[in-house]
Amino acid sequence: MIASQERTVDAGALAPELERLGGRLMMLFVAGGSGDGDRELRAIVRPGEPVIVVRARVDGNAYPAVTPRVPAAHWFEREIHDLFGIVPEGHPRLEPLVHHAPEEGEVRLPEEDDVRLEHRGAERLAGPGVFVIPYGPVRSGVFEASQFLVQTGGEDVAYCAQRLFFKRRGCERRICAVPLDQAVLVAERVSGTSSVAHALAFSHAIEALAQTEVPRRAQAIRRILAELERLYNHLEVTVRECEDASLAVAQAQFAVLKERLHRLAGAVAGNRYLRGVVVPGGTRVDLDTGAVDLIGSSLAGWEREWRRVLSVLLRTDSFLDRLVSTGPLSEQDARDFGCVGPVARGSGIDVDTRRDLPYDGYPPFEVAGHSDGDAMARMEVRFQEVDASLELIREAVASLAPGPVRSAPGPFTRDTALGASESARGETLYWLEADGERTVAFCKLRAASFVNFGVFNRVFDSQVLTDFSFIEHSLGLSPAGCDA
Amino acid sequence: MIRWFLRGVSRSRVTTRYPRGDEPAPAGFRARALLDPDAIDEHDAATLAAACLPGALRVTAGGGLLLDGSRCIGCGLCVDGSGGSGVTMDPGYELATSSRERLVVGGGVREGDAAAATLGGPFRRSLHIRHVDTGSDGAVEQEIAALLNPYYDMQRLGLFFTATPRHADVLLVTGSVARPMEEPLRRTYEAMPEPRVVVAAGTDACSGGIWTAPEVLGGVDRVLSVDVYIPGDPPSPIALLHGLLLAAGRVREASAPRAGSVARAAEAAG
Repeated sequence: MIASQERTVDAGALAPELERLGGRLMMLFVAGGSGDGDRELRAIVRPGEPVIVVRARVDGNAYPAVTPRVPAAHWFEREIHDLFGIVPEGHPRLEPLVHHAPEEGEVRLPEEDDVRLEHRGAERLAGPGVFVIPYGPVRSGVFEASQFLVQTGGEDVAYCAQRLFFKRRGCERRICAVPLDQAVLVAERVSGTSSVAHALAFSHAIEALAQTEVPRRAQAIRRILAELERLYNHLEVTVRECEDASLAVAQAQFAVLKERLHRLAGAVAGNRYLRGVVVPGGTRVDLDTGAVDLIGSSLAGWEREWRRVLSVLLRTDSFLDRLVSTGPLSEQDARDFGCVGPVARGSGIDVDTRRDLPYDGYPPFEVAGHSDGDAMARMEVRFQEVDASLELIREAVASLAPGPVRSAPGPFTRDTALGASESARGETLYWLEADGERTVAFCKLRAASFVNFGVFNRVFDSQVLTDFSFIEHSLGLSPAGCDA
Repeated sequence: MIRWFLRGVSRSRVTTRYPRGDEPAPAGFRARALLDPDAIDEHDAATLAAACLPGALRVTAGGGLLLDGSRCIGCGLCVDGSGGSGVTMDPGYELATSSRERLVVGGGVREGDAAAATLGGPFRRSLHIRHVDTGSDGAVEQEIAALLNPYYDMQRLGLFFTATPRHADVLLVTGSVARPMEEPLRRTYEAMPEPRVVVAAGTDACSGGIWTAPEVLGGVDRVLSVDVYIPGDPPSPIALLHGLLLAAGRVREASAPRAGSVARAAEAAG
């Protein structure tokens, strides 16, 4: 369970309080009923131990914006404005985020170049020869629905704006509307390639509400599944980068490795994306000896093949040339905008939910890291994490002792809880508020991609158009998770 | 580059022989639920229907249980709840049909077991496919992309992705239709030359799945007329291959998700 402290401030004092606390802003949202009188802002920050939940009641329809002091709030406050009509006064760019801007295809540049704001450094470009490529939401190739407005004079990218939320499905509302034992199935489908991470974060929150202890065997099974999921997500990014570099053989060989992981997942969990196993209180099914042996033997052969192919890739100049120094994200930007996962770790930020907000009995392990901040750094973080995941799976398999795999959560004994997990993309959060002993009345989820998408326009400094897909794929984003 | 060449030629063939040969499905794989409506009593019917998140299992006016395979997400909660009688999980992959009615079992709905058909139409050899995501969870896209990996290699069957709808024969749609995607979906369809085929890939696209209004409109057939339904959450690459070959008129469509006939056949064999 995540140790947390609560404090309440005036809405006017929220921004200075968050600036004073420092650390990383994890979430900022509005909770409470539909009446204007009982709407309350919740900010969740992690200045160190413990996590701090700051509550601030909003009187009327406005409050002083947090973003000018804490840039990481920028998308959260635009979301609050879209969904609740509450105005964060002084927000540098209060245009629609979740609800689409009326004029499509237009790149909006910032009014001011304040160094602390979202678009710091962006320059106004105009004149003959400057044009905007609206790329998406139906994109060339098989991609999720998302749109990028790329302003260019032909080669250099002057500016790149991201437009998302084409596929908002109302996940949070759905989670509250269905019976508790079915809600985890909704969480699994928020971001379908991070099903385990979302199911874990949601289950951790439920387990915190009911103060349930997860049996040790279930914890080990959860770690196996979570790391297996990390493996195939990191392989997906590798396949995409090889495709971008036109390395057909490398693409095919990494795709074979990825497919082998999905087949292993299908054989042990009955689903190629490991759905339907993690439930609040443990796991729904046990792994029998056959499944455990299959994991051990499959991954041993898989690892040998992975090392061979990776060693060739890391000696392929046409791959390295395209990734080194491409899509640089400075440590300052990554920190200011609260980035998580391999995106943050590639820019020298030491953050990993598995270690920082420990869960499910993870043993100590070395958190991957790199300081270059470019696309290659993000890839190298992933390559290190593949090794770490294989080691964590071996450890979890060895620690599987006989015992139960589920202790069903009892009635809720707490009102609110935060659940977290580290998906392949980074920190995944669920904030739940209980109504009575069995009902979740309010849910706010935040996938890693919601914050990492926020820096998409920051990584195009002095980049060229042909680098676009390298940069996009190196960030490893999930529009489905972001849009929820 | 020579190293990649050597690696490429040193690997053995992994490509499936499907559709000329069968592809083994792993035991315990939960592709979809199968129902034997006669084996369920009224009390069980109500319990099972209440435990089904997407509403694939529903109690009919007559008190019987109906399985709508276009809504099933293969979670398996119904099998846990039924104690293994009446509802089972199907590990198969030939799941695609030409109509949603064909995916329904029970509740007195007419079943088309005898009428398993191939689609006629103009596409017999090569198909060019344009994909549109209207609100998926992101896994279906990866399963579609997996069709290009050496295991499935859909190009050997004359199936290709195309960047522009103007070159496309097939519109492959994933995800329940979220409101902002209704217009882009229509415009993509309208940009395609005729004849054109619409394939709904995945349970979300077939029926809307677990998602509800107001954020989503429902399945793709709320916006466009759908020719092939590929249920599955997500459908495996081999199931997608079956659906695309069905669109080309090269395989037969799936039988209804009825448990009884499978169980009885197994009994007879055993």
